[in-house]
Amino acid sequence: MRQIMIDVHRCNGCLTCTLACASAHSLSQSIVGAMQEKTPSRIQVLSAKGKVVPLMCRHCEEPACVVACMSGAMKKDSKTGVVTNEGTGQSCVGCWMCIMACPYGAIKQHPTEKTALKCDRCSHREVPACVEACHEKALSFVEVNEYANKREKKAAASLVDEQG
Amino acid sequence: MRYVLIGNSAAGVWAAQILRSLDKESEIIMIAQEAVPAYSRCLLPEYLAGLKKKEDLYIRSHDFYKNNNIQTLFGQRVDTVDAYKKEVILQDNNRIAYDKLLIATGASSFFPPVPGLEGNGVFGLRNLEDAQNILDACRNARRIVVVGGGFVGLEAAYALYKRGHEVTVVEKLSQILPQQFDEKAAQILQADMQAEGIRFILGQGIKEVVSPGLWSRLFGDKGKGVILEDGQRLKAEVIIVAAGIRANTDLVKDTGMKITRGIPVNDYMETSIPDIYAAGDVAETRDIVTGEVGLTPIWPNAAAQGQIAAYNMAGQKKAYGGLIGMQNAVEFREVPAIALGITRPSGDAYQVLSDYVPQKNYYKKLVVQDNKLVGMILVGDINQAGFYGAFIKSKKDISPYLQDIMRKDFSYAYASN
Repeated sequence: MRQIMIDVHRCNGCLTCTLACASAHSLSQSIVGAMQEKTPSRIQVLSAKGKVVPLMCRHCEEPACVVACMSGAMKKDSKTGVVTNEGTGQSCVGCWMCIMACPYGAIKQHPTEKTALKCDRCSHREVPACVEACHEKALSFVEVNEYANKREKKAAASLVDEQG
Repeated sequence: MRYVLIGNSAAGVWAAQILRSLDKESEIIMIAQEAVPAYSRCLLPEYLAGLKKKEDLYIRSHDFYKNNNIQTLFGQRVDTVDAYKKEVILQDNNRIAYDKLLIATGASSFFPPVPGLEGNGVFGLRNLEDAQNILDACRNARRIVVVGGGFVGLEAAYALYKRGHEVTVVEKLSQILPQQFDEKAAQILQADMQAEGIRFILGQGIKEVVSPGLWSRLFGDKGKGVILEDGQRLKAEVIIVAAGIRANTDLVKDTGMKITRGIPVNDYMETSIPDIYAAGDVAETRDIVTGEVGLTPIWPNAAAQGQIAAYNMAGQKKAYGGLIGMQNAVEFREVPAIALGITRPSGDAYQVLSDYVPQKNYYKKLVVQDNKLVGMILVGDINQAGFYGAFIKSKKDISPYLQDIMRKDFSYAYASN
């Protein structure tokens, strides 16, 4: 199973990933089109004290958002491991339970619709658009075992590991 | 091995799903009073508002039970449980033997003992049938009184307001959402709904409900009179009672099981009787923030408890890490709000950080105790709610973050290495 891995130290905050993400989720599949359609990005580039941290859904093993979802829309696909609230049979109503549950703060309110917005790991593409677009190789799409127990897990778990 | 689950909502469905993923062979039988597939109670207001059809409320696909090889006895009422023979006795006297039993019977609407608060035109809002009855009654109704300014009451009020009714919410305490939010947050949310046209009467209980006399009925005035404690009189064709819940424990009351307000369970969701587990709105668990044992009747906790119960029923010891009992997310009209943990601290032990900009519908309040975050209210901007929640759950020392924690851009970036 491949995962998007983040190497925070390589990110220079250029925001190209956010444009690529919006483009990949727009009808027009282009950056200009995405701006016209007002397609939001699902990846955030957060900043704190001069350092930048790209963040998107980690598609957790035991996702808190899926348990919290009261409409049944948020599901984890048992084959691909992707966690999404789109095209799962039930529809998202924007109750924000998942936002309340996600320890990373990786789920947002959709700016124009009453639904929760999150990374779907570009289920319609071979390689997620953000990864493809990242010049600095801060994002990579790799088999989890190659990388997982190294820096990513350490970084990601620093806050949330105590809660299982 | 045969697992019997009583209840077919969040806790029951999650338990069944996890049980089947852990144990492909054993029998799983689900018993439920309602004769419909599992649906989301939290979506009933959307159904009331006409935004969702009945089928849209279902939380699993139609072949969920078949695909997971779950036998369903829906539309069946459980009379009692025989804990010695390990049998569930249905109202039609059929007996279903179990090896492991899960009580996930949920809760019912609580009707306060107010004279006249019953009969025609008076409804709780708890299940699909309630919602359907409300819709039927609303067809010829103009005025609606909602008793109780908690989540269910406000959701119902807004849903019916959207359908074009005149709605008045009567709350006994001096603010709406008294269990979760503080006064400031409640005021922002109330103003938002008031601006839309919903009326609020706070600090007033209901003394009596009187049916229309013969004379008024002859002249086509069907409305009941709702008399408040101060003598004020309201008229309503439909009254919705949203004054809290009562755990459905009747079926185990003769088993000798320990029952308080609900069924207290340990970390493994075990009741005081071997091989009987409880989860969801009927169960009493320990809140990790306050340490108190009580009912936590909200969807995410029910779902999580159902999962934990399933692991333990299947023989995989897994402890309930504990959840924050008091947590909720709302958006009645357009101001989203989330409350978690202790939001109205009293005493010197707490430090309160707050940023209050009512004209922008913005409010952030963090409650800190011994350098740990123990509660929060977010109104207007809720996007980091889960991140703050992680601090509450993990009980992490927040002193390194104290100077930044109130920033609007405080996020995961501050905590990552």
